[in-house]
Amino acid sequence: MSAVTHHDHGHEPPYAVQIKSNRLGLWLFFFSELFLFGALFVARFSLWGNTRPELSQVVGLIVTSILLLSGFFMYRAESAIAHDDRKTFLSSLLIAAVLGIIFFVGVVVVEWNVFGIHVEGVELFGHLKPTDGVFGGVFFAMTGMHALHVLSGVALILFVWNNGRKGNYSSDRHWGVEGTALYWHYVDVIWIFFYPALYLIGHVG
Amino acid sequence: MNESKAAAYRLGLITLLILAVLTAVEYIIGVNMTNPATVLFVIALVKAAVVVQNFMHIYRLWREESH
Repeated sequence: MSAVTHHDHGHEPPYAVQIKSNRLGLWLFFFSELFLFGALFVARFSLWGNTRPELSQVVGLIVTSILLLSGFFMYRAESAIAHDDRKTFLSSLLIAAVLGIIFFVGVVVVEWNVFGIHVEGVELFGHLKPTDGVFGGVFFAMTGMHALHVLSGVALILFVWNNGRKGNYSSDRHWGVEGTALYWHYVDVIWIFFYPALYLIGHVG
Repeated sequence: MNESKAAAYRLGLITLLILAVLTAVEYIIGVNMTNPATVLFVIALVKAAVVVQNFMHIYRLWREESH
């Protein structure tokens, strides 16, 4: 679309100004979300104190590593499109999405154990239920709210990948990629605080 | 590969390495220390700061030029 048309008399702001506003808006959204995640974080320390439920340390470490690795590929995708490296851009986006899905499966299938899997001698699958008092309530609220953000992030990444496949982004214009990357890294930052709060701080109660 | 692209990819790898090391330290402290809350919170703050600076480019908020 042309920046100046017959109807808008050139009222559309320049792209650089739009991007600046978009960034500010997204960061304000992140700030507003801090109240949600912050409340969950505070609830954990208020209700659990210096205790925590018995959770698989292996699962916690693996899902955390997967999410951090996913963040790296998202960064790589954004850097790639900023340099018109389409091949790396598309492949990195796909890897980031797949790792996000693995994280989601790790939390829902393994940690939540929604299918009630029990393998003799393997202590990976969770046994905590949402109805298990404050341990269950807080754990499922924190991981559930975060998993919902992961799921929406994966959907955004796949949407951007599809747009990228059609050649809709360039090194000059790729706000969709930048915005999605920002969102994905934000989800990552939240987990950076949730991981020790859920898995490492406090003794098993 | 031009220099700025190589530098961007290198920054990503360095950041990933820092995050991996800090996560490993976090894990070791978490499973071995009796009361690790403060230390783990400080490590989480450092990890978050690294992501916000290197991956989220927070400085772009007050930078004039854009892509």
